[in-house]
Amino acid sequence: MLKRHAGWILAAPATLLVVLFLVLPVAATIASTFGDPKGVFAPYIAFFNSGFRRTVLWRTLEISLATTAISLVLGFFAAYAVSRAPSRMKSVLIIAAVFPLLTGVVVRSFAWLIILGKNGILNNFLVGIGITDQPFNMLYTQGSVIVAMVYLFTPLMILTLVGVLENIPDDVIQAASSLGARPSAVFRQVIFPLAVPGLIVGAVLVFTGSFTSYATPQLVGGERQMMMGTLMYQRAMVAFDWVGASTVAAIMVVITIAVVLVMTRIARRLNPMAT
Amino acid sequence: MTQALEIRNLTAHYGTTKVLDDLSLSVGAGELVSLLGASGCGKTTTLRLVAGFLTPTNGTITLGGRDLTKLPAHKRDIGLVFQNYALFPHLSVMDNVAFGLKQRGLPAADRAARAGKMLERVGLSALADRLPGALSGGQKQRVALARALVIEPPLLMFDEPLSNLDAKLRIDMRVEIRQLQRANGTTSVYVTHDQEEAFSISDRVAIMHQGRIMQLDTPETLYQKPANAFVARFVGFENLIPMEVVRRNGDSVTARAPGGVELDFSAKRFPAIPEKFVLGTRPDGLTVTADPGAKGIPATLGLRTYLGRAYQYQCETEAGTLVANGSLAAPLAAGEKARLEPVPEQCCVLAVE
Amino acid sequence: MTARLSPWLIAFTTLIYIFLAGPLVIVIGAALSDTTYLTFPPQGLTLHWFVRIFEIGAFRTTIVTSLQIAFLSTALALAIGIPAAYALNRYRIQLPAWLSTLFVLPILVPEIVLGFSLLRSVAAGMNAPIYASLLIGHTLIVLPYCVRVISASLSSFDFSVEEAAISLGSPPAKTFFTIVLPNVRSGVIAAFILAFITSINDVSTSIFLTGPGISTLPIQILAHVEQFFDPVIASVSVLLMFLTVAVMAIVERTLGLTFLAK
Repeated sequence: MLKRHAGWILAAPATLLVVLFLVLPVAATIASTFGDPKGVFAPYIAFFNSGFRRTVLWRTLEISLATTAISLVLGFFAAYAVSRAPSRMKSVLIIAAVFPLLTGVVVRSFAWLIILGKNGILNNFLVGIGITDQPFNMLYTQGSVIVAMVYLFTPLMILTLVGVLENIPDDVIQAASSLGARPSAVFRQVIFPLAVPGLIVGAVLVFTGSFTSYATPQLVGGERQMMMGTLMYQRAMVAFDWVGASTVAAIMVVITIAVVLVMTRIARRLNPMAT
Repeated sequence: MTQALEIRNLTAHYGTTKVLDDLSLSVGAGELVSLLGASGCGKTTTLRLVAGFLTPTNGTITLGGRDLTKLPAHKRDIGLVFQNYALFPHLSVMDNVAFGLKQRGLPAADRAARAGKMLERVGLSALADRLPGALSGGQKQRVALARALVIEPPLLMFDEPLSNLDAKLRIDMRVEIRQLQRANGTTSVYVTHDQEEAFSISDRVAIMHQGRIMQLDTPETLYQKPANAFVARFVGFENLIPMEVVRRNGDSVTARAPGGVELDFSAKRFPAIPEKFVLGTRPDGLTVTADPGAKGIPATLGLRTYLGRAYQYQCETEAGTLVANGSLAAPLAAGEKARLEPVPEQCCVLAVE
Repeated sequence: MTARLSPWLIAFTTLIYIFLAGPLVIVIGAALSDTTYLTFPPQGLTLHWFVRIFEIGAFRTTIVTSLQIAFLSTALALAIGIPAAYALNRYRIQLPAWLSTLFVLPILVPEIVLGFSLLRSVAAGMNAPIYASLLIGHTLIVLPYCVRVISASLSSFDFSVEEAAISLGSPPAKTFFTIVLPNVRSGVIAAFILAFITSINDVSTSIFLTGPGISTLPIQILAHVEQFFDPVIASVSVLLMFLTVAVMAIVERTLGLTFLAK
């Protein structure tokens, strides 16, 4: 009797924690947006009727897509170099990518305040070499948020893609060159197509991460570059509009889960190694 | 089209460990030579050096007079068949086979025609549009074979191509490989650790150990006349008995085994027996007999096992523990005294090392 | 396999790594600067700003809170995550497939939404103490790392070894601790490190679960930056970095060695 339920008994504490303190509270948050007496979808209509909030959603999508695209390119080339590096060098490069990940988001975003600030390193440098005579504000722009986000997510992308590239068996690559494929042909015809599913997984990680980020837009973007995360905080803790905050939360959950489900399904279909 | 492979004084290192030691090997045009040995003997290293995936510390590799040693792998024009098939998982069977032709810049129509013909030869035309993931092991190996053959390489190399297949399929496939290789007359190098497979498929076999070729010969010669104790043990001469010649009398040579027993050998069967030598026998080559008058090595019998065609005994003798077979008709018990008679057809004479 | 890489790729990769390392070097440099404002390169070296951290009460208390929460949430998540991971591997046929998805939900659901939902339902709705809500939040966000990393180690564990021990007379519970756990040691260590680091650096979940009474170090840093822009921020950031590295080293040493000694 005990044996038949052993699995459930062992898994019960973790299951209960997730159900009681994640599934139910998040469901309650989403449900709270449908209780408006003015109509079931009233909070959503209000959200999309507000030009400011539409701009925030649009900006968040833009920044997240740009971050994803740039870190895909940086991450893929770096990961390719890492995966083909001699083994001693490879471990050094992997540790160098892991270390920033271990450092918190706050610290890594804060670094950009020192670099991009009005009296920051970059401005001092530009004035110093005479490109401009007036320091200009680079912080609190869309560009600064994107740079900081790319910085935040590139290590994650590198590590994900190194894993993907290392999974491509050596003998498949050797088979290609034994059949006469030049290194560039091996890259285009074998390595890249086999890495596509992994690229999608990396892209999903970075997109959802930047789409729901809070600390970076708060520090580097400020009020002027408000994103969904900072908007939600502002609604909840400054305006005390909990329904409004819940609406932002619900939109974030729907978009992230939709992206994850659709993209992982595509990745799985494209993955020839799965069958 | 078919060319000879010439490997001269090849030495290779992994880091500071020497994995190949001054290895020389010639494979004649159209010949199939196997490299046979346990893992770590250097057989796969040799293949990877010839393919261009490893760089030798010393030595040269030439194919039909063309020096390959410094050439990158993709310019060597060698057909390779891998142990794990190494098919491109994202390409259809047809595109896998046509891959090498595409690299050679053939127009699409020619590629399809040649790859199609090749698939027909290996009997896979019906599966041309499948992805490799949907194929069985045997089918994958056929695709790998077709992919290597379709570029009509002057040299084919096989790296344990059958070790992932089940026993029955392994035998069918090795016949098929041999037939295709014969038909094309392609010079081939075949790496395996399976003795039966190597002997059945090859013109000649190189038995390798610790980065060196211990003997390179036809399967028949290897099986009957091993050149040294290592090869002898490898091909099943389990008992190695030190002997000393006491008399030579025309066609008959008499030698003494440890313990003093004298045995006669025919100089016709074993020409040029040295004064001291090692007699190698398979278990079949020593017959256990209870007859005290028999001319054989005295032994005390130990454990008896049943082989189906005979009983096998562990025998304690002055020459150490020997393994010998006895007839099914008269089983003997452990502890009994017996004599072990050599059967000349199952013996070999080796130099003392 | 080492193929020759094009010099362009090597140059590009070097630039990417400079981009990754640069900002952290700048933070460390700024923390050592002998000026009252943040600058790089440092204008004369001092450790003054590290001393200053501990003169500010808010930093003193939040460092303690962060360490407490990180240790407690990691311990809790391991305590419930190890049995869950074991169950997922050992009793796979008994359990529904969605269960393993359930345990990664805390990664799938945006952290900031989780934080806000805990504030609504648990802290406000159930009137739970804020410290408890914070601990629950952190346990949830580190749980997926524990379950997944330990599951991965268990998936390569041959359970017939466990059956062998039981057949030799070792009771099942004892067998788990003497046979199974030592074999997934590296997984447990990795899970501990990942979980601890995730907790101590967390912002998105904590931001809703902290208040005037209780705060964590990253949240306190965020609050401090809004008002002051002095090198103490850089030095406290460096402290956080070293805390992370130190925990990694300590866990690797102690947990690694005690397990090895068996």
